[in-house]
Amino acid sequence: MNASNNHNLALAVSRRGLLKFSLMGSAMLAAAGVTASLSGCSSSQPDTGYQVLRREDVSFLSALIPVVMQGTFVAGKEATATQLTLQAFDRNLAHFSPEVLKLMQQLLDVLGMAFTRGPLTGVWGSWDSASREEVTAFLERWKNSSISLLNMGYSSLVQLIPMAWYGQTEAWGHCGYPGPPTI
Amino acid sequence: MPVPDIFRQGIARGWKTYDGSALEQDLTLEADVAIIGSGAGGGTTAEILSAAGFKVLIIEEGPLRTSDDFAPLRENKAYPALYQEGLGRMSKNGAVTILQGRAVGGTTTVNWTSSFRTPKPTLEHWAKEHAVAGHDEASMAPWFAKMEERLGVAKWAVPPNGNNQVIADGCDALGLKHDIIPRNVRGCWNLGYCGLGCPTNAKQSMLVTTIPATLDNNGELLYLARVNRLQIEGSRVVGLECLAMDERCVAPNGRKISVRAKHYVLSGGGINSPAVLLRSNAPDPHQLAGKRTFLHITNFSAARFAQKLDPFAGAPQSVYSDQFQWHDGAAGEMSYKIEVAPMQPVFASTLLAGVGEQAAATMAALPHINFMLALGRDGFHPDSAIGNVELRDDGSPILDYQMTDYSWDGVRRAWLSMAEIQFAAGAQQVWPVHVDAPWLSSWQEAKAAINSLPLELYRARIGSAHVMGGCGMSEDPKLGVTDSLGRHHQLENLSIHDGSLFPTSIGANPQLSIYGLTAKLASQLVERLKA
Repeated sequence: MNASNNHNLALAVSRRGLLKFSLMGSAMLAAAGVTASLSGCSSSQPDTGYQVLRREDVSFLSALIPVVMQGTFVAGKEATATQLTLQAFDRNLAHFSPEVLKLMQQLLDVLGMAFTRGPLTGVWGSWDSASREEVTAFLERWKNSSISLLNMGYSSLVQLIPMAWYGQTEAWGHCGYPGPPTI
Repeated sequence: MPVPDIFRQGIARGWKTYDGSALEQDLTLEADVAIIGSGAGGGTTAEILSAAGFKVLIIEEGPLRTSDDFAPLRENKAYPALYQEGLGRMSKNGAVTILQGRAVGGTTTVNWTSSFRTPKPTLEHWAKEHAVAGHDEASMAPWFAKMEERLGVAKWAVPPNGNNQVIADGCDALGLKHDIIPRNVRGCWNLGYCGLGCPTNAKQSMLVTTIPATLDNNGELLYLARVNRLQIEGSRVVGLECLAMDERCVAPNGRKISVRAKHYVLSGGGINSPAVLLRSNAPDPHQLAGKRTFLHITNFSAARFAQKLDPFAGAPQSVYSDQFQWHDGAAGEMSYKIEVAPMQPVFASTLLAGVGEQAAATMAALPHINFMLALGRDGFHPDSAIGNVELRDDGSPILDYQMTDYSWDGVRRAWLSMAEIQFAAGAQQVWPVHVDAPWLSSWQEAKAAINSLPLELYRARIGSAHVMGGCGMSEDPKLGVTDSLGRHHQLENLSIHDGSLFPTSIGANPQLSIYGLTAKLASQLVERLKA
């Protein structure tokens, strides 16, 4: 990420250990750009097989998707369903306007990098090794946080993931949808 | 395909169209009148001007998609292609999802066909509070009648689908008024996929009516081209600087198109029209461009019925209730129009979104779901929520929409009204769409729960499919960007013909309001250009 775009948000951990956001200008999750430049660990290249999603994004979403969609994927086919959802998520992002995509990538940066992930999500290890319970706890925390940016992040993720899955024909059996009529 | 693709046939006959994404070099185009935007305002204006003998060029940012492209009706193909920002458009705080079309035909290509005349109290409010002249009910009536005739607008004669029938049943049980929605369709197959583009050309959108008529009248169409700036010298627009877009309509591809015309009509709709003025540093002595933008801020109530409603099939909107629309006068407490939304699974899943087993159970019940919405009539009361269009660093627009206690109060009352109607219609359970609300099993229980819901962004799911205002019209240059005829107060050869002219929201789905008003403005523009 280009850190020069991301000077409008300062993220700080207060003495009491509570996170405080100081927002100037537009309300963007821009902290990760700064952290990325500090830690030098954020890749900007899409992962192999994706138009937009980077390796860290794929790792995070692979942990998140089965939790958000729990109860919808056919037993034994969770891995395939997660993969289909990832691909569709990637295609949807690839059609977003550059500014909306930038917002999403800033959100994913915050979630992907250890520096911000631990304090903001409670998941201190990598997403690859996060348990379902940890992921569920992270979602609850973001849903109920007093920090509106985290509420917004929660809201985006729990809408974009089903949006990606239910576009697939494989999803329609669960929701009793017969598919579109033939013309 | 059993349905002829009239647009592709027209192109084969020799219609003049330019695809910005395919340009191999920069381009210069000339016309008598250049129209920016091909939706309800641009399409209507183009037909009238070209029929009067003027050479018209229509410029559309989005792609050209026609009936053959719309089949086989896949949501995952349609939404990224046909909506602003690839369906990613939202308010600046990320709390309001904004559905706006972006394709040849604009939002008319993807709207749900509901067609209402501008309500009389709205027109009266504009005259009284916003110095709008000449648009009273009697003066507007012939223009609405003309466009209803042109676009086949008539009350839907087929029985409503199960989703819509809930409004009729619930209102009947409670003694509330309701009526059938007029739709702009001819030979409609009652499929219910209007939001994905009509595959049978039954919907009388601009794509199959006014734009073909314009192209038959020597008009030209440039698509996948964004009007970046108006070039302004003194009090005149002297040209347009357009950026050709890539085929996904995500980023400019480096080619430029210059446009020269005698007169220019801005019809980009709410958000995009003021954005063109702001990017162009157009004279704006009273800082009005982009101000007073409205959304019909919309909240939702889902209900579960024992019987199947199949809310994904059949005309999307065919029944409405205005019971709670004008009860407190035009400028009283926030009021709302009640309708339903069609529920194909992608769209449904974003509105019913949640996590894990509970969300899974809701989606599993999709065939039994009724999904009601309330269009909050914003902009009439001084304490109403209001939006302001700003430019991001890259020049693209973003709407800063600020909710207020007044508008939240309307949201809460709308949840109550919808839940009461749904239970009266026989719902087993109702869910006011809010992250803290559970599924509720009786009207009494729902009333208590709704009255205690926190009215907060991100917890209440709110959205909009109707962007209005931002270039309001008024005879007083201190109150409006244009006069009542859509003439820009400072730029003599620029008109604005779209929903951005509205000084408030409409209080009804806005397409016919745009058709009627812009038909009138375009006809008067013809007289002025001929003089």
